[in-house]
Order: sequence, then C-alpha cells, then structure tokens
Amino acid sequence: MANRKEVNNRISSVKNIRQITRAMEMVAAARLRRAENRIAQLRPYAKAMRRMTRRAAEEAGTVQHVPILDEREKVSKLGILLVTGDRGLAGAFNANILREGLRLRDQAHAEGQEVVFFVVGRRGDGALTFRKQTINGSWTGFTDRPAFTDAREIGEALSAAYVDGDVDRVEVVYNRYVSPLTQYVHRLTMLPVQEAEVVGEGVEALTGSDGEMAEPDSDLAEAHSHSFWDYEPDAEELLATVIPDYVDISLYRTLLESAASELGARMTAMRSAAENAETMIDDLTLEMNRVRQAEITQEILEVVGGAEALG
Amino acid sequence: MAGPTTFTVEVLTPEGDVFSGDVVQLSTRTVVGEIGILANHVPVMAALRPNLLRLKISESETREWAQAHGVLQVFASHAQLLVEEAHPVDQLDLGALEEQKSDAEARIADPETGKGSREAAERDLERIDVFLELARGA
Repeated sequence: MANRKEVNNRISSVKNIRQITRAMEMVAAARLRRAENRIAQLRPYAKAMRRMTRRAAEEAGTVQHVPILDEREKVSKLGILLVTGDRGLAGAFNANILREGLRLRDQAHAEGQEVVFFVVGRRGDGALTFRKQTINGSWTGFTDRPAFTDAREIGEALSAAYVDGDVDRVEVVYNRYVSPLTQYVHRLTMLPVQEAEVVGEGVEALTGSDGEMAEPDSDLAEAHSHSFWDYEPDAEELLATVIPDYVDISLYRTLLESAASELGARMTAMRSAAENAETMIDDLTLEMNRVRQAEITQEILEVVGGAEALG
Repeated sequence: MAGPTTFTVEVLTPEGDVFSGDVVQLSTRTVVGEIGILANHVPVMAALRPNLLRLKISESETREWAQAHGVLQVFASHAQLLVEEAHPVDQLDLGALEEQKSDAEARIADPETGKGSREAAERDLERIDVFLELARGA
C-alpha cells in the first residue's frame, strides 16, 4: 500500500490540475461570449448585402459572366479547406475535422479525383504535414479571433486557385456552432459560388441555418422596386463586383463559427476534466484516510503486542 | 434658424457597425468617381472604391475613416454603406501597410502568378495604396 506522503503528493497535484482546467474553462467561456457576439455582428452586414444583391439582380435580369460562378462539368481536382484550431485541449474539435477531411479525400480518390488541401489552424496544418499530405495553402495564428481580413486573404487565394484552374471545386469542412455544448462537422461547397445562394432563396452560406434572413423585407422592398434607381456602374456590372464578396463573407462566417465551436468544445472538455479531477481527489482522499487508519491500527497493534510481551 | 437637413447613415462592416446616425453630407468615391450625398438624394446603388470616407455631422463636426471596397445604397433619405473595412485614419498602421504593399507588388511582379491571383493582388494594392496615402497624411 502506498504511504501517506505519496498519496498526499498525488492529491495536491490533482488539485493543481483541477485548478488549471477550471481556469481554462472560465477563459474559454468568457471568450466564447465574445465569439458569439462577433457572429451576431456579422448579421446586419450580411443581411444588407443580401438585400442589395437581390435588388441589383432584379434590375439586371441576368447575371453577368463571373468566373467563380461557373460550374465545371468535370471535377478532376477537388480542393478541400479544413478549418481547425491553433491549439488543442478542445476535445474532439480538431480530430473530427481531420477525420472528415481524410474521408472526403479517400472518397475523391475513389472517384479518380485529385485532392488539393488548404488548411486553417496549426493543428490541421501539423496533422496533414505529419501524414505527408501536400498543403497548397495554410493560414494560422488567428483561429480564436478571426478578422475579416483573414477571411478575405483565404477567399482571394481560393478564388484565384479556382479561376486559374488549380481546383475545379472547393469544399470547406468546419465545425458548425449550435450551442456551447453542441457543434457538429459540416461541409459546405464554397466554389463555384452557387447562383441560387446569391440571387435566390438559399442563404445557408451567409446566414447559417437560422434562416433569419430568408424572410422577405417588409414594405420597403415593395417601395424599392417601384422607384427609379441610379446604378454606378450599371446593375449587371455592380452585381459582378459584389459576387466575389460572397466567398469572403461566407468564409468569414465559417471562421467565426469554428472559433466559437473551438471555445465551446474547449469549455466542455475542460469542465469534464475538472469534474474528473474532482472525483479523483475524492477517491484519493478516501485512500489517504484508509492509509492513515491502517497506520494507526498498526501502531496500536505494536503497542498492545509490546505490552503483552512485557506482561 | 433651422439647422441643415440631415439624413441617416449606417456604415456596416463584417466586424460590426462603425457608424449609425444623422449626417448632413456623406462623401466618398465610387467606381465612376467622387460622390457626395445630401439629404433627399435620388435612390442610388454604387460600388465603392477604397477612399477617405467623410461624414459631415454638423457644421463643426466631421468624421473620417479609411474605407476599403464596398457598396453604397441610398434610399428614402437613408444611406447604407457596406464596406469590407473602415478604420479611423489615425489608427492605420503605416509599417504593416508598407509590408503588405511590397507583398502585393511581389505577387504582381512574379511571372508565375496566375490571372486570378494577379487580380486579387491588384485589388489589394489599390486598397493598400489609398490607406498608405491616408496614413502618411494623418
């Protein structure tokens, strides 16, 4: 049986772990609130953008030729963007993304497609490098607090790869944020941009699944379509300049959701770690008492034995 | 005497709203040229280029931002600007901008750069140049 000192040492180290995991849980919770706020702050912009695009699309009638709208008949090179985090200790957050990414790769290979990886976050970058996958683009260092400029940088690189024929389609794999306790791996086709997403009813990429923006805009929309508008440049060209923004905005949204998911996952993981430490401390305290009891019993036996020997 | 007629302006970026309130005059630049908006302007929708965005709030108060690409919509005395970025001019980081500029120029100069990447780099450069000019002036 372990002696008292050993058990005591273990108790104090587990107590330290509990304290650290508690602190990490708290930090993640505070950051999560901010991440949720950032998602909420994107909404008015995305909503207004959508309204303007539809207005311009109605006026233009047709959508001008924009390379990132072209659907390629044959996909021979599939681009996969994995959105992971820069740090671990977040449960299955990063592992789930990787697993789905690799599954997608195998599926593409089975269909005879070539796969081109793009990755966000140090974890994904490290894991893919370890598996000796070629990475065509890697962006790290901002996953817990992505800025729009980060999304634009990625958007530009992906769109350029698409336009230049380096990829024929781009799928994004990320953790969709539902609540602090629930995130799930989601796949989204980023390129080609779906025309229906831009001018029609489908708004998944911009707004998430809440469908908040799908509802028609009150009377203002009506007034809009009856008044005389000036367009600079004309509506068709204007529409063409706005479409690339859709890639950046929906990427920004996936980065924000992934950040919130990461923090949510970390919060949950750290909470259960703290709870486990708690249970362990209880068990160890029990054992500690048992050891102490055994020592006392031993001493009494020795005293009694000694007395008997003398008597 | 009544003050000048005002209209409402909203400046939105993906990272949140930058300004929302009544202004006398709005000025910036569209792909066609400089534009100034006063109250009761005809409905307009325009693609914006990087420029100094100036909102005259009253005779004595004017607010300014360095503004990236975006879209402007004016309707019923309400102007909405959707811009990728809007920073107060004095918060621009000269050093970082210069770094971005040489990066963008290198991408344009590189003969390996594809058509798509080149267009993206040129768009970046347009923004960076305007921001740099504003930062140097500030």
